[in-house]
Amino acid sequence: MTFWKLFARNRSAVMGLVIIFLIILMALTAPLFFPADPFSLAGQPMSPPGENGFLLGSDSLGRDVAAGIAHGAKTSLLIGLLATLVAVFVGVIMGALAGYYGGFIDNLLMRATEMFQTIPSFIFAILLVAIMKPSIESIVIAIAVVSWPAVARLVRGEFLSLRGREFVQACHTIGMNDIRIMLAEMLPNCLSPIIVIGSLMVATAILIESGLAFLGLGDPNIMSWGFQVGAGRTLLRSAWWVCTFPGIAILLTVLAINLVGEGLNDALNPRLRERT
Amino acid sequence: MKIKTLLVNMTCALGLALAGSASAQEEGGNFVYLVQPEPPSLASFLSTSGPIGLVAPKIYEGLLDYDNDLNIVPALAESYEVSEDGKTVTFKIREGVTWHDGEPFTSEDVAFSIMEILKKVHPRGPASFAEVTSVDTPDDTTAIFNLENPAPYMLRALSGYESPMVPKHLLEGTDPRNSDLATNPVGTGPYVFEEWKKGQYILLTKNENYWKEGLPYLDRVVARFVPDASTRTAAMENGEVMYGAYGAIPNIDAVRLREMDGFSVSTDGYAMINPMALVEFNSTREPFDKPEVRKAISLAIDRNFLIDNIWFGYGKAATSALSSNFSATGLYKAEPEAYPESPDVDAAIALLDEAGVTPGDDGVRIKATLDLIPYGEDWRRAGEYMKQALMPLGIEIELRYEDVPTWLKRVYQDYDFDMTMNYFYQLPDPVLGVHRHYATSQIRQGTHFVNSSQYSNPELDELLAAATTEADADKRAEIYGQVQDILAEDMPVMNLFEMEFLNVFNDKLHGHDASALGAYGSFDQVWIEK
Repeated sequence: MTFWKLFARNRSAVMGLVIIFLIILMALTAPLFFPADPFSLAGQPMSPPGENGFLLGSDSLGRDVAAGIAHGAKTSLLIGLLATLVAVFVGVIMGALAGYYGGFIDNLLMRATEMFQTIPSFIFAILLVAIMKPSIESIVIAIAVVSWPAVARLVRGEFLSLRGREFVQACHTIGMNDIRIMLAEMLPNCLSPIIVIGSLMVATAILIESGLAFLGLGDPNIMSWGFQVGAGRTLLRSAWWVCTFPGIAILLTVLAINLVGEGLNDALNPRLRERT
Repeated sequence: MKIKTLLVNMTCALGLALAGSASAQEEGGNFVYLVQPEPPSLASFLSTSGPIGLVAPKIYEGLLDYDNDLNIVPALAESYEVSEDGKTVTFKIREGVTWHDGEPFTSEDVAFSIMEILKKVHPRGPASFAEVTSVDTPDDTTAIFNLENPAPYMLRALSGYESPMVPKHLLEGTDPRNSDLATNPVGTGPYVFEEWKKGQYILLTKNENYWKEGLPYLDRVVARFVPDASTRTAAMENGEVMYGAYGAIPNIDAVRLREMDGFSVSTDGYAMINPMALVEFNSTREPFDKPEVRKAISLAIDRNFLIDNIWFGYGKAATSALSSNFSATGLYKAEPEAYPESPDVDAAIALLDEAGVTPGDDGVRIKATLDLIPYGEDWRRAGEYMKQALMPLGIEIELRYEDVPTWLKRVYQDYDFDMTMNYFYQLPDPVLGVHRHYATSQIRQGTHFVNSSQYSNPELDELLAAATTEADADKRAEIYGQVQDILAEDMPVMNLFEMEFLNVFNDKLHGHDASALGAYGSFDQVWIEK
């Protein structure tokens, strides 16, 4: 069976993919539908949805909630993807080295990941952003720093089990160097779990970014969903729409990414392949 | 000899208070109020930190108090006289007052409190009593302040909050910075310190020997600490606490409680504090070294938008360097040209053109960073508003939000900022609260909340010096008129609005608003309707 057929067997995964596609489309077309700066004071503050020309209402300063969601999609996706890429990159290198060489290097690197893993990741992210000044770079760095240990451990496990296989030994015999064995031979063989954990990590990264922005540690110059929820939180009793709609956007995105991750897992995991 | 005496005043006031008390006030009861956050200590002679002010003045008293019209009311001093040259102030100290440990309170305590404590270790005391060279105590009930120059503002700084009288017999010969009094205060006030349960409450009990006849009414006063804002609101709603001031109940909840039966909201009790929201410009950096640029920004800001949409209507648009609360003492002068009622973007652009700050190819004239005071969400919203409001002028703002120590260091130590949003207490006299912004001598690197703009104008310095020592009220008002004219033109600091802090209270509570100091007052007349 082809990969796509395997993936498509999971209906909810396909639905997740559609939602993600729509959100990406929204992020790309935001400047067309909402050409103004999402921070601009577009009209009457605290307008309920549908009134004064605001599809989803306006916040305490008269900013368009819909425009914020459209422009915020780009921020959330970008941060999610970037942070995940950095985390996977670092995690794969660390995990590969530890798993391939074992012994002292393995010990050293794994104690390092344990050190990171013993600190609750969200608290650690708050600490990192608070130390650096809140900006998009510092948020990406913070999320990557708290996320890479999981990748590292996963990759280490895979490399440990691959290390003794015949094809790897064959590579050694024909005189391939370590780097090439790791990159060209072993890595492709453990790509599927990395893809699965990476896709789920995007969702976590979006959640962490929202949480940080909610706590006031977002980049104050960039519109994001977490920022909107944080800004509307105090108004919840008088203007429910300000944080409800961005909250739904976060929920849908994270849900969709999780569904796709689940679908990828089903499709790529040979043990689950024959599951009916 | 010009003599001011308060004896008559006092007798009338006390008489009225007692006449009123016979019919309505009810004795007894426990009064629980919110203090947020928990005070670091109760050493009000060492620190002016807000939460200390909410508790300590119930225990310690000052020589004078102030009523809601800012008139001087006698407290530990029965009366005072200012000599004609303004260089001698004689206080008649009340007889028969005792400390909570039973020792008598005398003029010796006054001299010690001023000379050894307030002038030496209090944050604002050195300024308040700068002119005091010595305090003579010819007998137990007379304290004579000898001044280098007249200091009319000093009489505004003698409340129990600002300048508490402390017991000489417990502090003499000890290090006041490490005194037991910090956690076990002994004062002369209406309530006696009983217990401090860290993280929970401070319990005060009635002073049975209080010098004010018939006061206080309450048996116990409890200062409760509740860290979470919504829990505080809930405690107010279900009657667990009866009073919260200084933003203990957030504005958003206050406007909701205001509409409910049984709760009220007031903005009284802050006239001696005079909080002012403002923007400090770094006047050593281009292009903020140009007064036109600073003024243009002031013209483009819709101050009422900030008040209405971020502070829920609580506040008053600034109209001068001084708060309009100073009109009570005649010092305030409106400057409508620099502080227009509604924003005037065209005039602002014209000013920028005039200053030679012209737009580049992308239409941007100025790129600058606005630092925000890290005291909560409201300030971020205000920064977001500023960013939008300055865009039409071609001013592109980047917002920066750091933690408190980093921000303080950036602004007051490193001077590494373009503009910063902040708020200052203007206090009951400009000498105490406003001069620190503008005087050349107040460019004190590393000291917080002084002249971070590094603005220096010899002409203004002279006027400020003259206003400090001018005893004649009319002449003083005239000098401050000139000061405000200069500051409206130069605007090293742009005032945004006079902040109004909120008191939220249960309607069963009475007498909490008896003093100009509001929540920083002694609460001696508080009573609870059963």
